[in-house]
Amino acid sequence: MKVRHLGISLLCICFFIGNIMIAAPGFSAEMTAQEIVKKSEDLLDQAKDSQTDILMTLVNKNGKTRERNLAAYIKKGENDSSKSLMFFLSPADVKGTSFLVWSEPDKDDQQWLYLPALKRIRQISASGKGESFMGTEFTFFDMGSHDTDDYTYTLLADEDVNNEPCYTIEAIPKEVEFYKRIVIWIRKGNFIPAKADFYDTKGEYLKQGIFSDVQNIQGINTPTHIEMHNKQNNRSTMLDLSNILYDKGLKDDIFTERYMKRGK
Amino acid sequence: MKKARVLSLLVLCIGLCPLWTGAYEYESESLTLSLSGYLESGARYAFDSDTPDEDPSTELGIDFNADIGSKASFKLFFQVQGDGKVIDPGNGILFNEFNKIYQDKNPCVDIDEAYLDLFTDSMDFRIGIQKFAWGRLDEINPTDNLNTEDFTQGGTNEENERKIGVPAVKSTVYTDLVNIELAWIPQYVPYRLPTREERWFPGVLKPPEVIATDTAAGDIPVTSSYQDIEMTGRYPSHSEYGIRVSKYIAGCDISLSYYRGYNVMPITSGPTDLTITLKDLLALDYSITAETTLVPEIHKMNVYGFDFTTTVGSFTVRGEYAYFQNKYYNRKLDSVLSEELTQEKQDNIMDDFMETYLDSDGEQSVQTFRIDPAISLQKDSMKYGVGIDYIYGDTSISAQVIQEFVPGYDDDKPIYFIKDGFDTLITVSFKQFFLQNTLEANLDGAYDLEFKDYMIKPSLKYKFTESLQLTLGAILLDGKEQDSLVGQYQDNDEIYAKLRCYF
Repeated sequence: MKVRHLGISLLCICFFIGNIMIAAPGFSAEMTAQEIVKKSEDLLDQAKDSQTDILMTLVNKNGKTRERNLAAYIKKGENDSSKSLMFFLSPADVKGTSFLVWSEPDKDDQQWLYLPALKRIRQISASGKGESFMGTEFTFFDMGSHDTDDYTYTLLADEDVNNEPCYTIEAIPKEVEFYKRIVIWIRKGNFIPAKADFYDTKGEYLKQGIFSDVQNIQGINTPTHIEMHNKQNNRSTMLDLSNILYDKGLKDDIFTERYMKRGK
Repeated sequence: MKKARVLSLLVLCIGLCPLWTGAYEYESESLTLSLSGYLESGARYAFDSDTPDEDPSTELGIDFNADIGSKASFKLFFQVQGDGKVIDPGNGILFNEFNKIYQDKNPCVDIDEAYLDLFTDSMDFRIGIQKFAWGRLDEINPTDNLNTEDFTQGGTNEENERKIGVPAVKSTVYTDLVNIELAWIPQYVPYRLPTREERWFPGVLKPPEVIATDTAAGDIPVTSSYQDIEMTGRYPSHSEYGIRVSKYIAGCDISLSYYRGYNVMPITSGPTDLTITLKDLLALDYSITAETTLVPEIHKMNVYGFDFTTTVGSFTVRGEYAYFQNKYYNRKLDSVLSEELTQEKQDNIMDDFMETYLDSDGEQSVQTFRIDPAISLQKDSMKYGVGIDYIYGDTSISAQVIQEFVPGYDDDKPIYFIKDGFDTLITVSFKQFFLQNTLEANLDGAYDLEFKDYMIKPSLKYKFTESLQLTLGAILLDGKEQDSLVGQYQDNDEIYAKLRCYF
C-alpha cells in the first residue's frame, strides 16, 4: 500500500511511518514493527486534503543560510491516488514557479512544471528520484509517495529522543534503490516520528531527519519543524510549516494547469 | 571612461542592494498587493573592435500585482532602461510605442505586461498588454505567432525577453472535454529592430554596397535608407486572432491551434531610385547610382498548428507543427537588384532618359527613375520540430530538431534563411546547478545544418544572496555565409557580465 504524504508530504520524509498521526487508541506494547507501520498508514489516511505554507531554509557547510517560501496543496483521490501542487512564493527569481504531481498506484507519477519566465507548462519525467530536490537535502524520492510493502521492518531497542521515549524501527528495502537502510525513532506518546537516520546504498551514514515542534491541528498531531542534516556534505535543510489546514475540501480543479499558472 | 561607468553602475547596484530586503506586500481579507522588482547593470565586451560598440546598460524592472478577492487580479510589469545598445537616440519619446519598428530611445520605458484578469468558475478573462505562450518547443515555436519580437539584441536573448507584450483580449474556457483559449489582438504591433548603426542590426537588411553588372554602367553603387512601418487602420479586419484547443489524454498534453494575423518576421519592399548621370553623350558614357529604401510590409497569414508533450521513460518528448498559408519571405536583395538591372531593363531606362534629355535640349543630364523590385515573396510553408528533455536532479539536458520546409522553392529566387527549400536547426541546452542551487552553469547551442552556422552561449550565474546575482556569459557566433540567420552576426562575438539585484 502506498503511503500518501498529506499536505506536508514533502516535509515528512519519514515516509513509511507516515507524517500525520494521532495518538493511537488501543495501542498495544506487543505490536510488531510491521503493525506500527500499518497503524501509521491507517492514521495517515484520515485527512482527505491539506494545505500549508512552508518556509524552507537551506544551510551550507559554512552555516550560511538561504530561505524559500512555498505553499503546498495535497488531495487524496480514489484507489490510493493523490494530487499535489506546490507554489514557490519567494525568492524573486523562482517566484511563481509551480509544480504539479498526479500519483496513481503502480504507475509513474505524472509531473508538470510551470516556469513563469517561460510562461509555459512543461510535462516532466519522474526520473532522477534519488537526486536533490531544488538544492535541498531532500530527494525527489523523499518527497514522493512510497509503498510500505517494499520494506521489511525490525523493531530495535527502545531509545529516548530529546527525553521522549521512542520505538526504534529499522527498515530495509527489499530492493536497494536509494537507501540501503533507514532507522526511524517514533514517539511512543503520539506516533509522530522524532528522528530518522538514512544510510546510502553503500551502507554509509548519509543523513538525519529530525521532526519537532509537534502541534495538534484539527485533531491531527503534526510536526511543524523538520530538519534534514546531511552528514556527508555537512549541509542542512529546514522546513517550518505554518497555516496548516486539513480537510478544507480542496476542489479537483485546483490541481490543474489553470491553477498552476494562476498561482497561489 | 567606459570602465569607470561600468564600475560605477556595479557599485550602485551593490550599494543599493542592502536597502532592499524583499518585496513590499499588503494583505487584507479581500485585497493582496505586492510590489517587487530588480535593478540590473550589465556590460559587454566585443571581441571584434570593428563591430559597433555597446555601452553599459542599466535596467529597472518593476512588478506590481493586485489580487482582488478570488475573482480578479491585476498585473503591471514595466522596465526602465538605460539602453547601451542605442547609439544615437533619434526618438525622444520615453515610452516604447506599439506602432514603430525603430524605437531608438535611450532612456526608455517599456510596458511589458499590464492586464486585468477576471475569473469565473469555468472561464478566465484577461484584457490588457500581455504575452502569449503557445507551442511546446523551446525558444522557437512555429505555432506561437501572437506576439511579435524585439530583435534589438539579434535574437540572442531569451524568448520571453524578446516577446513584445501586445494589447489583447484573451479568454480561456475550461470544460470537462477540452480547454479553449481565444485571443484577439485589435491592432497589429510590429516587431522591433535596432537602427542600422547599432550592433545587432540584421545584415540581411543591408543591401549590397555595389551591384556588379555587365552593362556599360559597370558596378552600380547602392545606398540605403530605412522607413518605419505605416500602420494599418484601426478596423476589425486588421485585427489578429487565434484559438487553441488543449486536452490531456492518455498521458499526453496535446493542442490544436489556428492563428490569423500578420507576419512576425521583417518583410520589406525596396523601392529604389536609380540616378543616371550622362557624362559624355557621344561616347554614351554614363553612370548609375541606386538608392534603396527598405519599407516594411505586413501580410496576413493563416497558421494551422498542432503540438504535444508526453513522457517516455525518463524522457520528456515535445513536438510542434505549423502550416503557414500565405506566408511571406524576403528574397535575397542582391539577386533582386541584379534581376532589376539587366541590360534590357537598363536599355529601356536609357531610352526614357535620352528622350527626356533630348526634349530638354541637353539640360537634364541627371535624371532619377524609380523601380520597385519585388523583394517579398509569398509561399505556403511548414515548420515543425521535436524536442527531448532529460532531467536528473540538478542536471537538465534538452535537444531539439526544428525544420522549415518551403514547397515549390525556386532556386532562381533565393530567399533568406532557406536553402533548397529547407532550413534545419539543431539546438542543445544543458543546465547544471551546483552548491545548493547557488551556482548555475548553462550551455546553449544551435547549429544550422543547411548554412553550417552556429551559436554557442555559455553562462555562469552565481547568487551571492537571494537578492543579488551575477551572470557571466559569452555569445559566440559563426557562419559560412554572411546572409544566414547566424552568419549575419558572425562578427558579433562578445562576453558580458550582468549584476542583478532583486527587491
